[in-house]
Amino acid sequence: MARDTTALSRRDVLKASGAAGAAGLTGLAGCAGGGGGDSEYPAIGNYPVEGDEVVFGFNVPQSGSYSQEGADELRGYNLAKDHLNNGGGWVDNWDGLSGDGVLGKTVASVEGDTATDPDTARQSAQRMINRDNAIMITGGSSSGVAIAVQGLCQEEKVQFQCCITHSNDTTGSECVRYSFREMFNAYMTGQALAPVLAEEYGEDLNFYQLYADYSWGQTQQASMEQFFTEVGGWNQLESVPTPLGTSDYSSYLSDVPRDETDVLVLNHYGLDAANSLPQAIEAGLDEDMEIVVPLYNRLMAEAASGSIDGIFGTADWNWQLEDDATQSFVEVYREEHDRAPSYGARIAYTQTLQYAAAVERAETFYPPEVIRELEGHDYSGAGLGDETMRGCDHQAQRDVLVMQGASEEEQTEDKLLNIVSTTSRDDIGYACDAGPAAECELGEYGDE
Amino acid sequence: MLLLQSEIASILLNGLQQGAIYALLGIGLTIILGTMEFLNLAHGALYLVGAYTGLIVFQETALSNGLLYSSGITTLGFEGGFLAALIVVPIVGFGIGLLMERFVAEPFYDRPETDQLLVTFGLALIVEETVKNVIGGNTFQSIAPSTILGVNVSQPISLPLVGLFPSWRLFIIAIAFLVIGLTYLAIERTDFGLVVQAGTHDSEMVRILGIPINRSYSLVFALGAALAAFAGLIGASIQTVSPQIGTQQALVPAFLTIVVGGAGSVRGAIAGGLVLGLIISAMTQTYSQWAQIVLYLFVALMLVFKPEGLFGSAEVGE
Repeated sequence: MARDTTALSRRDVLKASGAAGAAGLTGLAGCAGGGGGDSEYPAIGNYPVEGDEVVFGFNVPQSGSYSQEGADELRGYNLAKDHLNNGGGWVDNWDGLSGDGVLGKTVASVEGDTATDPDTARQSAQRMINRDNAIMITGGSSSGVAIAVQGLCQEEKVQFQCCITHSNDTTGSECVRYSFREMFNAYMTGQALAPVLAEEYGEDLNFYQLYADYSWGQTQQASMEQFFTEVGGWNQLESVPTPLGTSDYSSYLSDVPRDETDVLVLNHYGLDAANSLPQAIEAGLDEDMEIVVPLYNRLMAEAASGSIDGIFGTADWNWQLEDDATQSFVEVYREEHDRAPSYGARIAYTQTLQYAAAVERAETFYPPEVIRELEGHDYSGAGLGDETMRGCDHQAQRDVLVMQGASEEEQTEDKLLNIVSTTSRDDIGYACDAGPAAECELGEYGDE
Repeated sequence: MLLLQSEIASILLNGLQQGAIYALLGIGLTIILGTMEFLNLAHGALYLVGAYTGLIVFQETALSNGLLYSSGITTLGFEGGFLAALIVVPIVGFGIGLLMERFVAEPFYDRPETDQLLVTFGLALIVEETVKNVIGGNTFQSIAPSTILGVNVSQPISLPLVGLFPSWRLFIIAIAFLVIGLTYLAIERTDFGLVVQAGTHDSEMVRILGIPINRSYSLVFALGAALAAFAGLIGASIQTVSPQIGTQQALVPAFLTIVVGGAGSVRGAIAGGLVLGLIISAMTQTYSQWAQIVLYLFVALMLVFKPEGLFGSAEVGE
């Protein structure tokens, strides 16, 4: 949806008043810092923020293949909003956060349904920017969606905080200045998973891949091929694309050569994975070969709960981690929702707080300053030990968890997976001129 | 050579399974279209109702959002098992079909086709949104039982040429074709079927002959709805269940089936469903990225070169 450049909208009026403030009114008494319309910076995107409220846009899939993940992301977002306004959770421990809103403004939110579709997501984000004056948009659950929305946010100079998006492209070839990713990526999954699998299953094996045919699946299968081949000396028999949203994988699975294949790699997520993994087991493929799901999620684990015993994969985070931050988040989430959070909720919660904390440090909502605060920011207290939000590609440098499906006897409503190991961020990742980062051109801050 | 035979056998089995669901959907849609000349875009909604009814009858399901959940109802279902679902789902579909015919279809029989399309598409959206808001928009796992009549159906079975094949899928192929066969006999060999067929060819003449065609209309609509609901139950036993499945997984295949098979023909719907199922299966197993392209190209070619379909009557085709 193209923005109307001729009509004078409320947003334009607000911007103009902010700009006027920047030009001539900054010296007036009572103008404290750069929190809102009393800005020392020029108008950009939805800055300055007028009034007593600041609006965050939660743009998640409420329908489509990843709707279940979207629902849990939303729970994480709303918890973050509640804690930012009233204190509690990590807000009580993070530097700069007061529990009294952000820069004294109450955090309000608008919600959108991306329908797990990039065009719908972009339109929803556009509405949040134009109609609701969102200063920050966050969401994902599909890399196609995240990439589409972060592109829009770069054009509109509105901050985007990625939630679930695992494609290399998000902080690689499609990276933008206005977007930051807390989650790890497919490349890092390959780095963490390949050594574990080589040790567990041996070397010189044949593997066969099925992958969801869009940005995430494509980079995921490419990274699996790269690291399984390099680390374990494995040989790829074939890599077959499956359309996103496929519900019946029986024909794809029938085509897997049982005699030759040692490992079947299912690069599916969300609803796709909730169908493909149980159907692979239903077809008895687990009797002839090992099955690997490089990126686990709760829906998939629940769907195949009876049969995931021993199946390897990676995950962003898990509620069973024992650090204080994890346990305090699990506790507050459980109080609200009566069960443990998924990692989607953790990313949503972290990314919202991360943005708010950067605003507090910058003492302004002015996007270029907030971005500079986030770039190169070292932090901990988000459940994964020490992390760095790298400046060159806006990719968090963090540990990655290797998981394994729990046996049926071990499983509970919350516990479906076991943590096999935590791969240190020192053992994974890549330089700014290597891997996906080599293709990253972040673009402008907007104040150059 | 053995590899090729194995591949063909595997394609045939997967195609039969997919084709059986398409055929069930197609038969329901085609007898309604053929007899009443009523375009029912809510046919996918009946598939959705079948899937959710099956889910509720089959097991107790934990809810996590929706109106019921926010009202304090955290689980839904009767734990009746799959056999109970096999009986209850078609009955529920039949009942809903009777109501739909009386209150939705009948007032629109003499209205233009665009009105029929609008009202039934609107109804489909209402059903989908109602399910989403009441039961929740999240996805539920498929509902295949581990045993049925004491037989273990959760393990794959070794078949000649094919190798291991999910035994549950063999069961649903069998039960789907049993229902298809019974429907075919009901249409071809009973007085009711004769009235339906006669109505398909010339409903006015049937009326003039003193046959109460309106009552048959109700039964035809209800039968079509029951078959769609049954297809929903079969689909829910192999795939996840969410509010979008009616439009995404049922409506388009149902229409493609009758385009290929021919409107108004039960034989056509069966043939159309099987042809489409086999095309999808064959292409997916050989050139997967071409599967959808070849499918729609085939349907387009059918429309160009044989617009009445494989078994369609000229009257309906016109």
